[in-house]
Amino acid sequence: MVEKKPEVSRKDFLGIATFSIGGLISAIVGIPAISYIIGPALKQEKTQNWIPLGAVSKVEINVPTLFKTKITQKAGWIVNERELSFYVLTNNGREFTAMSNVCTHLGCRVRWVSDEETFFCPCHNAQFSKDGEVASGPPPRALDRYEVKVEDDQLFVLGG
Amino acid sequence: MLKISNWLDERLGWRSVWEAIFIRKIPKVNWWYTLGSATLFVAMIQIVTGILLTIYYVPTPDHAYDTVQFITYEVAGGWFVRGLHHYGASAMVILSVVHMIRVILHGSYKFPREVTWFTGVALLLVVVGFGFTGYLLPWDQKAYWATTVGTKIAGTPPVIGEYILRVIRGGQELSEVTLARFFGVHVWVLPAALLALISVHLYLIIRIGIGGPPLKEDNKNE
Repeated sequence: MVEKKPEVSRKDFLGIATFSIGGLISAIVGIPAISYIIGPALKQEKTQNWIPLGAVSKVEINVPTLFKTKITQKAGWIVNERELSFYVLTNNGREFTAMSNVCTHLGCRVRWVSDEETFFCPCHNAQFSKDGEVASGPPPRALDRYEVKVEDDQLFVLGG
Repeated sequence: MLKISNWLDERLGWRSVWEAIFIRKIPKVNWWYTLGSATLFVAMIQIVTGILLTIYYVPTPDHAYDTVQFITYEVAGGWFVRGLHHYGASAMVILSVVHMIRVILHGSYKFPREVTWFTGVALLLVVVGFGFTGYLLPWDQKAYWATTVGTKIAGTPPVIGEYILRVIRGGQELSEVTLARFFGVHVWVLPAALLALISVHLYLIIRIGIGGPPLKEDNKNE
């Protein structure tokens, strides 16, 4: 009787089994580890709210006016306050445009320079016109705008 | 695949290293001889999960408890990572103690393996140190009072006890100083000691080989 030689030897089988179980255990730990690390990045907590800015009367005609406000935000395990700033512009005292003061290039804060009638970003010398369009420098697009509403002579912007 | 591994082996000589570590002759042994490897395996789990926990954990009284709650209930897979680290800690102590008992009962600590035994004893102390410092880190009631009692016990020896207690606590009372230093010891001092000691321990096991169970014939000349 000819004994048939097994195709996989005992040694090979143990080797394969060791690596398979090792791979399985690595996956059991590794896959949750990846979601553990990237989890907070995937969380979309963009709830849009009407943020009160202040009295409409503060806005001067044809001059971008800075409004500062604070919103509470939950970041990780801490609930804290974050300051938001908006420039509000009006031509007629009835229709308002709210613009972000965040430069669209790399996120520095722009400021209104009244002498030159431009928004200026000190990081890379970008300039935006009064209505937020790019006047010079590297920014790829105009300043972000927010929806505005007026209730009881109070300005609100929709943001988060 | 084979081409790449040949290319690498020509340059790194990794195959001889691999063979020295894994293709060793061992005496006929039983399952009790797997406890050291089991401890090493759990130690690797502890290292990986411990590193992951430090991504969110903050060792100050303001944040320690909140970050642990955040990890457990809000971070994806956080309960799993913390759970592995929590139960792994108990497993480390149990496995290393049972491993030690096997070494004692089989006389494996004798010549020429004394130094392996010494490093093993040091490793057991490191494991207990990990358990003691790690227990405080969640900063909950159990952690706080267990460490109050534990450090108080360290303060019982006459004359020097008072100094030991103050050095461990970083002051007279259990405080933010205690939490910060327990964290530092838990994530820097002890891991460094653990890796250094494991290196020596494993080197000696590979160099000398494992002892195998004592045999009746060994006692012939008594």
